[in-house]
Amino acid sequence: MSKKRASDFTLMIATILLVFIGIIMVFSSSFPEAFHKLDDGYYFLKKQVIYSIIGFFVMLFFLNFNYWTLKKLSKPIFIVCIGLTALLFTPLGTEFNGAKRWVNFGFFTFMPSEAIKLGSIIFLTSFLSKGNKRIRNIKKGVLPALIIIGLSCGLILIQKDLSTSATLGLTLVTILFIAGMKIYQLAFLALMGGALGTIAVISEEYRMQRIMSFTDPFAYFTGAGWQVAQSLYALGSGGLFGVGLGQSRQKFFYIPEPYNDFIFSIIGEELGFIGCVTVILLLLLIIWRGIRIALNSKDAFGCLLASGIVALITIQSMIHIAVVTSSIPPTGIPLPFVSFGGTSLLVFMSSIGMLLNISRYTELDRS
Amino acid sequence: MSSPTVSTKKRLILMLFVVSIAMFALIGRIGYFQIVRGDELKRRALEQWTRDIPIEPKRGIIYDRNGKKLAISVSTDTVWCNPAEINKKKAKDIAKDLSNILEIDQDILYKKITKRQSSTLIKRWIEKEEADKIRNLNIRGIEVVSDNKRYYPLGNFASHILGFTNVDNEGQYGVEKTYNKYLTGIPGRWIKTVDGRQKELPYNNEKIYEPEDGLGVVLTLDETIQHFAEKSALEALVKNKAKNVSIIVMQPKTGDILALANKPDYDPNDKTKLLFDPKTPWMPLNEQEMKYWEDVPWNQKEKLVYDSWRNFPVNDFYEPGSTFKIITAAAGLEENVVSPDSQFYCDGYVQQVKGARIKCWRYYNPHGSQSFVEGAQNSCNEVFVEVGLRLGQEKMYKYVKGFGFGEKTGIDLTGEASGIVNSPENMREVNLATVSFGQGISVTPLQLITGVSAVANGGNLMEPRIVKQLVDNKGNVKKTFEPKKKRRVISEETSDTLLNILESVVSEGTGKKAYVRGYKVGGKTGTAQKVIDGRYASGKYIASFMAVAPTDDPEIAVLVVIDEPSNGIYYGGQIAAPVAGQVIKDSLNYLNIKPDFKESKDNNESTGYVVIPDVRNKTITEAGKILSQLGLEYSTETLDVQKNTIIIDQVPFPGTKVKRGSMIDLFVNTKYERDNTVIVPNLTGKNYKEVTNMLDNLSLRYKLEGEGIVTNQKPNAGTKVDYNSLIEVKFDNANHD
Repeated sequence: MSKKRASDFTLMIATILLVFIGIIMVFSSSFPEAFHKLDDGYYFLKKQVIYSIIGFFVMLFFLNFNYWTLKKLSKPIFIVCIGLTALLFTPLGTEFNGAKRWVNFGFFTFMPSEAIKLGSIIFLTSFLSKGNKRIRNIKKGVLPALIIIGLSCGLILIQKDLSTSATLGLTLVTILFIAGMKIYQLAFLALMGGALGTIAVISEEYRMQRIMSFTDPFAYFTGAGWQVAQSLYALGSGGLFGVGLGQSRQKFFYIPEPYNDFIFSIIGEELGFIGCVTVILLLLLIIWRGIRIALNSKDAFGCLLASGIVALITIQSMIHIAVVTSSIPPTGIPLPFVSFGGTSLLVFMSSIGMLLNISRYTELDRS
Repeated sequence: MSSPTVSTKKRLILMLFVVSIAMFALIGRIGYFQIVRGDELKRRALEQWTRDIPIEPKRGIIYDRNGKKLAISVSTDTVWCNPAEINKKKAKDIAKDLSNILEIDQDILYKKITKRQSSTLIKRWIEKEEADKIRNLNIRGIEVVSDNKRYYPLGNFASHILGFTNVDNEGQYGVEKTYNKYLTGIPGRWIKTVDGRQKELPYNNEKIYEPEDGLGVVLTLDETIQHFAEKSALEALVKNKAKNVSIIVMQPKTGDILALANKPDYDPNDKTKLLFDPKTPWMPLNEQEMKYWEDVPWNQKEKLVYDSWRNFPVNDFYEPGSTFKIITAAAGLEENVVSPDSQFYCDGYVQQVKGARIKCWRYYNPHGSQSFVEGAQNSCNEVFVEVGLRLGQEKMYKYVKGFGFGEKTGIDLTGEASGIVNSPENMREVNLATVSFGQGISVTPLQLITGVSAVANGGNLMEPRIVKQLVDNKGNVKKTFEPKKKRRVISEETSDTLLNILESVVSEGTGKKAYVRGYKVGGKTGTAQKVIDGRYASGKYIASFMAVAPTDDPEIAVLVVIDEPSNGIYYGGQIAAPVAGQVIKDSLNYLNIKPDFKESKDNNESTGYVVIPDVRNKTITEAGKILSQLGLEYSTETLDVQKNTIIIDQVPFPGTKVKRGSMIDLFVNTKYERDNTVIVPNLTGKNYKEVTNMLDNLSLRYKLEGEGIVTNQKPNAGTKVDYNSLIEVKFDNANHD
């Protein structure tokens, strides 16, 4: 082990900035719904502030938590994740909006699927980094890795959360790619995935319609295209400089749950193109710093763990923004650091803490 | 501890590269929507947030000349749909819910709410209960908006003048149309921004532009006189089994229309509902029959409904017959070709016009030697042909045009006709002769009363006025339409002379039945065969009476036109004159014009009583002579009688005691129709004169016994009896004095 140094300050500042923007935007976008449904316009703001503060300390904890220990603990962590998922099927499991994805601990509702994201990344990367070039071997590397991926995604799929499952799947496969899996094997995997996806889409007509709706959301205005069309209205009325903080009209029951899967549209409406670019640049900054940490990491686990965390942040952000801008079929994925959600915020801030910890063992220019 | 491989590092750099490109692509995509398509999306979003609801102005009220409301606007609710906001999956359920409340077919509703259209009307003017129910459903895309509906509080009252509006509150007919631009007002707008649940957004963008209400229109019509006219018109319609009865009451000095009644008519509140039986137009429909006609398909009753909207005295013309003699007389007197004392001789046939067989209506018992005044009283055709010939084509034409015939009067009502007047070049001598007594010329009733009003007011032709003022909703007068004099047609002297002649027609001549005790009434009868498709239609007549009262200072002119009477009698003097008399009596009383009973006394003094002889089975010539010798007037139910036509029935019956000068109806074609019944009045306490008057009016025969006042009668009051039934009346002096 090399000597501990200061962590990547830029990454930390970028993260804190994003979380801060998130708090403000969650407040602004959730106010109408919170006011009308819960009689408390500050409901989501209060929660988000508490999670952010807890998240900040969790981040500081992982910043000082030697990531090698994570490798040692990878199996128990993964088992805990499975256990948390199992809790969904006990009376603790809580349903919201027709989906059972929360475990209620009384003082805190927890989303096991968010934990699985990080848990499976740690588990997979620790597995891949156990022997050099393990991934080049089908029997000892690829197949067990695919089983881990399948298991992780399956844990989310049983909660009927297709989009989160797909996000995680993509992230984990990206890790395989970074780890050095053979290109033809990856191509085969992509083909298989593509074929499965096509069958899934064709077999259900509503899926097909939903998929196609992104090409022209206004043609499906009252149906599958509604949310995306409303999102485009929000972006369009924001223009270059936005209508001003707090001034969104689309958050008034045109976009459902605007503080969650469509928070980026409200950013676009209130803060304009300038605001959108700022958020994307902050995300890019995090991604760049994360990849730099991975590149400079001296050991395979550190490198792969950093890559995996970056991949998760990247893929989830891009899907969120792509949905909001009607670039891919509509699906519901929150924007990391910004969207409302306690578990999500804790998981992402923990992962930044891990990145920061890895950065302390690299040769970096930390200016 | 293994270290990262070279390929891992390469792939990480590749990933950074790809992700950066993807992120910038997304920035480009955002820029495309926010900047390139920004304005378009912003406009569409604005449309989505903005509700621009028109606020209809209140349509102006239509008043009668005394401020009584004849047409008003009431607030109701209308349902609109914005199909773009309807949830397609729920459209079927929405259609079902609305269908239950509004009682409209579900499929029709479904089509309406799924139309590709920005705003669709679901149903206008719904009940308040229905409106509340729909509001409670709180369906996205369905809106209930308040607006106004036209309401005519008096129903089928003056409906041909008022007209009606369409569903968009635009005037379609009558004053509603001609004064639409004043009545309409300027619509306001209610602009607000709403959230996804259609509730108002908290940004205070609401703007209300108040509508400007329409101006009220004050008619020249007098509600009370219109009531008299409508009542009399309906009675005349029913009594004479006529196709149509029109009554116009005009103020001669101003040209103001005080009343204009038409029966059959329609109710502007439900203008497609038939009120009278199309086959027997004098019979009002009962509820059940109305329902039957309601279910008749539109294409089968369309014409009938349109016919019920026709304003006969303005939209149609007819050959006026003898009423037109007033115009001939005015021209003759003004041009000095005749004076009241000029002598004429009637031998039954007009000799002056070669090659034409023009008869006097009483050629079988010619009038003989008579003055011009007597000629007018007798309505003798020969006298007026002579006057016409003395005038000549040019002068006759000058006066016909001068009195406003052959051109529109300019009244502010829809679809006015101008009638047909031959120019002097096309007027042969025979035409000149017939025009002199009102044939071969077509006029509208409105033209006639306007022309005669010029005679009555001292010689000025007025433009008929239907609207007096425009007022705002606080009652301030915004505009006044002054009476408009078109031109002077005759001198005041001629006017005075002619009024006296017309008065004598009522007091002495064919217009007796229009006589109103205490008032000087002037008038002229008219009976004309109808011209249908260019030919005289046999058996179809228009009976009319043109009256002016009081003749020493005319306050009203009244024209009664009975189209196609079919109950036996169709002489204007017989059936139209009493109607005019009734309207004059009611109106003058209402207008507070004091009757002068002295004036009428000598009229009564000169009369004795005679017993009507039996003239049945005699020829018309014989009968005429007998009745004339007894000092009785007579008329037949038809115009085309031959000298040897046999009388088959008479009213009143032989043996009845009547005043000298009374009119006896002789029937040559049919027996007097007895299917009509009358209710026997209560005679108790009445004197001899009152009883005979009452029973004469009801066409009842009577047997009178004793002297003094009535103590007993048989049958009793209230009994239904046939016309001509015998009533036995006992008089007693016991309680007298």
